[in-house]
Amino acid sequence: MVTFMKDTVNISVFRFDPLSDKEARFDNYTIPARGLRTVMDALMYVRDHKDGTLAFRSSCRQGRCGSCAVHFNGRYGLACEMPLSEGKNQVRPLAQLPVIKDLVVDMERFWEKYEAVKPYLVRSSNDAVLSLRKRLEMDKLFDCILCGACFSACLMTGKNPDFHGPAAYAILNRFLLDDRDALREQRLALVKGENGVFRCHQMFNCNEACPKKIYPSENILEIIKIID
Amino acid sequence: MKEFDLIIVGAGAAGLRAAITAVRKNLRVAVISKVHPLRSQSVVASGGLNAVVENRNGKNGETAGDRDSIQTHMKDTLDCGYGFSDIPALETLVRRAPSVIKDLERWGCLFTMESNGSYALRRMGASSFPRTFFAADKTGLALMHTLFEQCIRLRQNKDVQLRFFEEWLVLKLLVLNNTVYGVIAMDIISGNIELLSAKSVIWASGGFGRIYGRSSNATINSGWGLAVPYYAGLPLKDMEFVQFHPTQLSGSHILISEAARSEGALLLNRKGERFLSSYDDTKEAMELSPRDRISRNIRREILAGRAVDASCVHLDLRHIGAKKIQERLPGIRNLCKTFAGLDPLRYPIPVTPGQHYMIGGIDTNERAETAVKGFYAAGECANTGVHGANRMGGNSLLEALVFGEIAAESAASYIRKKHIKTPGNTYYINVFTEEKKRIENLLKQKGNVSIADIREKLQRTMDEKAGIYRDGMGLVEASRTLWELNNMYKADLKLDGRETRVNYSLINAIELKGSLDIADAVIQAALKRNESIGVHFRNDFPNFGGRPRHSLLSLWKGKIRIRFVPVNTNEVPGIKGLWSRL
Repeated sequence: MVTFMKDTVNISVFRFDPLSDKEARFDNYTIPARGLRTVMDALMYVRDHKDGTLAFRSSCRQGRCGSCAVHFNGRYGLACEMPLSEGKNQVRPLAQLPVIKDLVVDMERFWEKYEAVKPYLVRSSNDAVLSLRKRLEMDKLFDCILCGACFSACLMTGKNPDFHGPAAYAILNRFLLDDRDALREQRLALVKGENGVFRCHQMFNCNEACPKKIYPSENILEIIKIID
Repeated sequence: MKEFDLIIVGAGAAGLRAAITAVRKNLRVAVISKVHPLRSQSVVASGGLNAVVENRNGKNGETAGDRDSIQTHMKDTLDCGYGFSDIPALETLVRRAPSVIKDLERWGCLFTMESNGSYALRRMGASSFPRTFFAADKTGLALMHTLFEQCIRLRQNKDVQLRFFEEWLVLKLLVLNNTVYGVIAMDIISGNIELLSAKSVIWASGGFGRIYGRSSNATINSGWGLAVPYYAGLPLKDMEFVQFHPTQLSGSHILISEAARSEGALLLNRKGERFLSSYDDTKEAMELSPRDRISRNIRREILAGRAVDASCVHLDLRHIGAKKIQERLPGIRNLCKTFAGLDPLRYPIPVTPGQHYMIGGIDTNERAETAVKGFYAAGECANTGVHGANRMGGNSLLEALVFGEIAAESAASYIRKKHIKTPGNTYYINVFTEEKKRIENLLKQKGNVSIADIREKLQRTMDEKAGIYRDGMGLVEASRTLWELNNMYKADLKLDGRETRVNYSLINAIELKGSLDIADAVIQAALKRNESIGVHFRNDFPNFGGRPRHSLLSLWKGKIRIRFVPVNTNEVPGIKGLWSRL
């Protein structure tokens, strides 16, 4: 557990309302350190005791629901999981997605790309059986909570609006691994075009951003191998 | 005004399951949720779902052999719930359980497998056999993804009318002449308030654990979700039955799933003793005893001064071994590392009981029907009566899926059969104007007491006075505190921001009212039940009165009315007369 040396913690939070603000700013808050541990704790404190209009999403507060992905002190992660530091604490919204207000971004493009890879099982036959081997290979992939951190960290999603992004490809690979699935060829056709998996430049930003250690770029490589 | 056949409020396990069935029955469906479906509390559910299924190898799990049966599943649930289960609902639950597993499997849910390729089963507390299907310790996540994926699949079909209203908060349920007509809801992002009319409404708003501070629930489970139908006059059943889970991470109250004990974790006191053996009601089943008993005995152990660090005990997983933990409890290991800074392979986990599940909720029967025509409820916000006075692990996800599906079936046949007369535009205009006015007035509040202050006082009151052990005196005090907090809310609330668009101060203010009123319902029901049974333990009435009865609480002209009705014990073949021996 983190124990702070000082009685207070400083946190700097990105604030922006595109409808009323000309430009974005950082608001600085000094808050009591007692009982605080994570970035989420601090954000909650600010909203509860400093400014009730601070906009951010939260739900499960245990790294399971994917609501609270943010950019904190230079890296992406879940606000509810990342510990505050003794020194600088800077929170920014996810990149590549339009800011609605403060830390709340419009996730629509992220969901749209996810849905585009047909993220659902269509059985090849009613009694198709999942093998234990495939099940174990997929084990890590169902940890994905679709928080959007990898999508924001990716350099390609910003440049190319048609690129599906790391999360969508990781999910796609989950279905490619499933030996019950009937859409294999369709799925591959969807992503082998010029804006598909080959656009990935293997910068591994997604791997670093992923709070659940899914390693999306490895999944992208696996898909590339299948297509090649 | 937007028009639909069916509105589903809530997009957790029950809501999504209802949506799948409803669109398959060709209904025009709207699903309203204040968060994206995958941000629902259901994704946190860990342990699994109970079902007695013949798996593809032709027999049940290895240790169960062919001895388990739906009668045993029923008997276990009934015993765990102290005979308070409504038999018709319970029978529906266990009989439909196998088809729930089949559906999930068909849709691709990644259940954990044994080395022979059959589905693994674990034995949860109070179960006679291993019958809980699971996906490691992340069953809820696996299952919610599966349900959401199927919703996407349906939605990509052009003929299907399934619309999600994500990040919309329902403000009011429209009930007139005991018939439902729709809801008024607010888009949290744009701030627009709209009336959505429908022939039928399914309520699946989930639990309301956040009326407590020490709770494993998501912060979204404020109680507002249940308050909306409560204000519309829906009776609430068994509100005093609040389940406290024995093992939550000390401090953060993050749940350490029963899956841990199911895989062999031990509960130890300061001296390293398995203290459950020194209490009569847990000495047989030990760590797999019903939750209410373990929670109470942990409290006793703490009060007797045998706690670790003043207020917790140890949950020891070390002997289970790295391989099994990585395979079956990886989520728990990660939670401990992230939120307690310890590795359960090397150290025991400090745990303490806390609020976990609300047995109480909207009074429904085995067809998910309620007191209002066209209005159905499913999942944690409902009380079908299956859990009785103490819920058995592995039955809540099951209940959400079984009754989510049934609610959609009931709604579909109601819509098809009944000629539903709409109340006319004047009614809609009046309720809409009135509701908009209410929100505008709330936005004008310029008092001195912050939302957080009221919420914190409420949560502390509930933790202290309506916890595992309660008594009349404490509950009366709690009731008075709540009355004061309610007055503060009305007269002196401080609200930031003056518009409806992305204003979380407003959202929190709206929901806080629901928290206060639902907490009061819990307290009044707890005060009225002068006996101890299951999760409800009154220090001043430590014995059971002898007759299983449900409490029914409702608002009548602004006042709370409570009455008791007998548990539905209509006999079912195979377990005849079972409850009467209790």
